[in-house]
Amino acid sequence: MSTAVLEVKDVQKIYGTKGESQSHALKGVSMTIDKGEFVGIMGPSGSGKTTLLNVISTLDRPTEGFIEIAGTNITQMKRNQLADFRSQKLGFIFQDFNLLENLSVYENIALPLSLQGVSSKEISTKVSKVAQTLGIEEILQKYPVQISGGQKQRAAAARALVHDPAILLADEPTGSLDSKNAKSLLETMTDLNENHQVSIMMVTHDAFSASYCKRILFIQDGKLYTEIQRTGDRQQFFKQILDVLAELGASHDVR
Amino acid sequence: MLLKLSMSSMRKMMKDYLVLLVGLVISISIFYMFQTLALNSDYTKNNSMISSIQIVFNVGAFLLAFITIFYIFYANSFLLSLRRKELGMYMVLGAKKGKISQILFLETLTMGIVSLVIGSLVGIALASGIGVLLMNLLEISTEGYYAFYLPAMLMTWGFFLVLFLITSTINAIRLARATELALIRAEQQNDKIKSKGIGAVLVAILGVILLALGYTCLHLLMYLQALGFIVGAISCTIGTYLIFISLLPVLVQALKKNKKLNDSKLNAFTFAQLRFRVNNLTKILGTVAMLIGLGVGAMAGGLAFQQNVNLFTTVFHVYDVNLHDPVETDYQALKKMNVLEQNTYRYKVDDKSFYYLKEDLLANPMLISTNSIQNYSAENKPKRVTEPLPKDVYIMNATKEERGNIDSVPEDWEEAISTNLANNYQLMQGKSVRIVDQVAYEGITGSEHKVLVAQVDDYLKYTQDLKEMDERQKQLVASIVNVKAEDVYTSSKYNTYAGMYIFTSGTMFMGFFLGIAFLAMMASCLMFKILSGAARDKDRYSMLRKIGVRQSLLVGSVYKELFMVFIFPAIIGLMHVLIGMEMFSFILLDPYLNIWIPTLIFVVIYAIYYYITVQLYRGIVLPKEA
Repeated sequence: MSTAVLEVKDVQKIYGTKGESQSHALKGVSMTIDKGEFVGIMGPSGSGKTTLLNVISTLDRPTEGFIEIAGTNITQMKRNQLADFRSQKLGFIFQDFNLLENLSVYENIALPLSLQGVSSKEISTKVSKVAQTLGIEEILQKYPVQISGGQKQRAAAARALVHDPAILLADEPTGSLDSKNAKSLLETMTDLNENHQVSIMMVTHDAFSASYCKRILFIQDGKLYTEIQRTGDRQQFFKQILDVLAELGASHDVR
Repeated sequence: MLLKLSMSSMRKMMKDYLVLLVGLVISISIFYMFQTLALNSDYTKNNSMISSIQIVFNVGAFLLAFITIFYIFYANSFLLSLRRKELGMYMVLGAKKGKISQILFLETLTMGIVSLVIGSLVGIALASGIGVLLMNLLEISTEGYYAFYLPAMLMTWGFFLVLFLITSTINAIRLARATELALIRAEQQNDKIKSKGIGAVLVAILGVILLALGYTCLHLLMYLQALGFIVGAISCTIGTYLIFISLLPVLVQALKKNKKLNDSKLNAFTFAQLRFRVNNLTKILGTVAMLIGLGVGAMAGGLAFQQNVNLFTTVFHVYDVNLHDPVETDYQALKKMNVLEQNTYRYKVDDKSFYYLKEDLLANPMLISTNSIQNYSAENKPKRVTEPLPKDVYIMNATKEERGNIDSVPEDWEEAISTNLANNYQLMQGKSVRIVDQVAYEGITGSEHKVLVAQVDDYLKYTQDLKEMDERQKQLVASIVNVKAEDVYTSSKYNTYAGMYIFTSGTMFMGFFLGIAFLAMMASCLMFKILSGAARDKDRYSMLRKIGVRQSLLVGSVYKELFMVFIFPAIIGLMHVLIGMEMFSFILLDPYLNIWIPTLIFVVIYAIYYYITVQLYRGIVLPKEA
């Protein structure tokens, strides 16, 4: 029986103060991600998917509603608690600026552990383990400028996973990769999900990337539009996604 | 339209521009004050004393101007770095480069003129406040000294306008050279990591050796003389730069190599940032260290000279009062003082010689100083002359023919007599000095005089009385020899003290202002240099924040990193001062007297700049959290 790792209930996000011109980025979104799921969030620009990611990743606070990650309600937390929560329970992969280019790959991956005060020896063991999983043992002593874009994203994934987070949050992780590297990263993520039971939530607008997920939520105008589940193979799922996107586009035109 | 945009963006960065403005105002106002002291010719004519320190103020103004040039360049490149993106955007939107260069040129110039106006006003206030205070302190008449002095004002405006014109032109040219894309992407350029190998270690060792050599030269300056100074100064300078070029990066590298330390908290990041800084700021850090040395050195040197005046006069003068033919008023004045020892010696003068009575001398032998400038120690107490005088007659200051086969005055007696009794060359008129016994003395036909020698508890308590005594002695000498009273030079303790005090106070005053201006300028150069790179660090901090680094930890990292950047040149600079002051030991008795005052001033100024830098840097890389 799977348990929820993330629970979002009636989350609203309003930018701007009352009286001024307000914009409703999220208008009551509810969703659940179970442990071991690989969920994609899709939607056109301005749909609110980045805002959703920001409130889930505790970088931004929802105006209304309730978010629970790994059994912890994060909406009531103080700033420092949030920072600690992020460093312990969440793992991030961004589109770019993933790695600190003045630190070696090893140091980049070690950072979340250092922050938690893990001993130097233990850090060393954990880093080499995660590096092995992601196949980047060779480049640990190199600096980000010396490695390829694909290797950078693997290193970023390693850093996101080294501290065993409850969930891995990925924001357009393939956005700045060429198709070969993108494919390789997505396969790695699938592997992590299937063979290492890592829960993943990935925000993307790219249908090909999304087709690697098990389930996809579509957002439009701050609300959940629809949800599809992968039942057959990836090619079939890819077509399914394109259909929903076409539908979304059509509804856009009608409006 | 563009003008409007530039105005609004300047308003937005008011805080940063304000920092630049304050620095400029300090520089301009001190420059102006120095100029009023250096150029005020009416005033100089009235004060022969002050003319000697005029050169000091001119040198000060020149040094100040020199450092200001650096300051303006660093400040401008910082402000430009903040606005690169904005300017690039204007260009992408189709604004002509020429137009933008023109606006930038106008902005820099306007900034300069605003600071000139404020600086001049502050300068006038400084001149009328502190300048006049200085003169009162030195008891120099302020007649003919005006706080507002047109030539000084013209000099200030002329000089700084040229400076601003040059910097704004260079600013505009620099912009014209950059491409639109380079401007927009200014922040995305990566750091290059250069690894330091064995070569760097060798260079570091060379730097330390050179520094040690330089210090040794300065330490042994008394023996090595000019050569020592040149070699010392050059090897110290090169050594300093080499240390910053290699020793510091090697040290930071070593810090990073310590796995345990590096793996703790945010240290890996802090050290990485630090490593980048020490690799990129080598030249400015070296320069800052040198200028801290010069700035604190200027203050410490000026202060040391002034503080040493008292010690100096004490080395030469054991007795505080030497009066030829004292009058009633002199005795009255002496009665008011706490006299420890007072003796009177009789002498006769004829057209050949001064004749001192041996019996008087032996009845009350005088004290002589056992200190010299070369080896001064407070432990060396004055000693009493004990040499016997068995012969009937002794002679000193005589020509060979006059001397004949008369015995010379024994060494200690000669010193005692020449400092205390036969101590006025105008009065002596080149005559010889003899010590004769009672019999011979009575047979001499010349006029009889006496000289009073006294030691008081603390002569600085009685400067007013001593000054009046000195005036009366001048009148006396003037009445005997054919010189005007104001041209008489008495070598009394008071006169020696007063003369040196004015010169050294002028030097000290200049040293302090120059030192403060130097330090303020230098620290702000460092500040602007660090801040110009801050925009680049923005993404790093934002990412650290995202992966869950507490704000307090990030702020702590900023404090730690910048502290190390600031502390290294401070340590080296202060070391230069502490060791460099040693070289004054052959003209100063105790170069380290009250050295804590300039050190404290330095630490305070530097700490303020460190704090401002951290705050501004924080404002750039760590936006306020919601």
